[in-house]
Amino acid sequence: MNNFIDFFIEVGKLKKQKRSGWVLREVKNPETIAEHTFRVALMGWLLADKKEKLNTERIVKMALIHDIGEVYAGDITPYDSILPKNKKDLKKLMRTHPRFSNIEKRELALEKHKKEWQALIKITSKLERKLREEILDLWLDYEEGQTKEGRFLKQVDKVENLLQALEYWGKDKNFPIIPWWIEAREIFSDPILLDFIESLDKKFHSR
Amino acid sequence: MVNYQEKIYLTGRGLEKFKKEYERLLETRNTKDEDPENLVLINQRVEELSTIIKTYELIQAPPKHKQHIVNLGATVVVEVGGQIDEFTILGTLEANPSLGKISNESPVGRALFGRKIGDEVIISSNIKTIIYKIKEIKYEL
Repeated sequence: MNNFIDFFIEVGKLKKQKRSGWVLREVKNPETIAEHTFRVALMGWLLADKKEKLNTERIVKMALIHDIGEVYAGDITPYDSILPKNKKDLKKLMRTHPRFSNIEKRELALEKHKKEWQALIKITSKLERKLREEILDLWLDYEEGQTKEGRFLKQVDKVENLLQALEYWGKDKNFPIIPWWIEAREIFSDPILLDFIESLDKKFHSR
Repeated sequence: MVNYQEKIYLTGRGLEKFKKEYERLLETRNTKDEDPENLVLINQRVEELSTIIKTYELIQAPPKHKQHIVNLGATVVVEVGGQIDEFTILGTLEANPSLGKISNESPVGRALFGRKIGDEVIISSNIKTIIYKIKEIKYEL
């Protein structure tokens, strides 16, 4: 059982680890990675129920493990490679959606993938082989969208992020919400999730 | 329950990847000592891959005289909010926005479809209207 205890202690650190995107935007008391994971799992399960032939057990398991590598890799954001040093420029940057060429996108994604994979290998190292392989397989599916469950959860992860951003914007209208909406129209393609984000748009922005 | 039928569009590279996975899983399924729990997952995946391989439509570059129009497989360079970005428009199975591959089913993918260099594509929401100006269209399949 010691191997489980060590694993649970390590992943438990996510209960205190704040999400970098909110820290960069100076959100007061920002959510932690574990808090984000909790709602991704719920959203993945309940929204998948509106679709045909999706394995919800696989989706919930995938949601639970999708960020555990961040215990060691940290929460990497798309802004990390272009972060300015002074606060004024940082605030300005946070009001934009970061743009890169496809070559730059591939390089950034590869670097992030490598760091998170190494972290995942480390954090699962003491688990028995079968469980470890299951976690690694689920993570690769989430990361690469190998199955319909992986593709769905990848988008649910972003929807949860959008909802959290909207909640922060609801409390403080200076919160830069526009980059989320720009990204939303580029990345979401699942019909259920497109329907969901249009409902979010109406709920938060209709007068 | 929502029932929707989406066409499966694949590049040649994507198709090869799925075919290889399908063959590998068929071999694994025939292994006698495979865990029964794993077998359930393998069978699910084999069924999914079989549907993909049987019903896909291949994404191919259009003839030269039509390459000034955005179609599936196009890499589109756009100017948006004073910045330059690029998207390759693929089917949902191969879309990966962090790599610049967006789905033809996404609002931006759909809006760019059929447009030409110089066209402006408008994406509206309750809070902001975004304009994507098409600067370049490439087919690098």
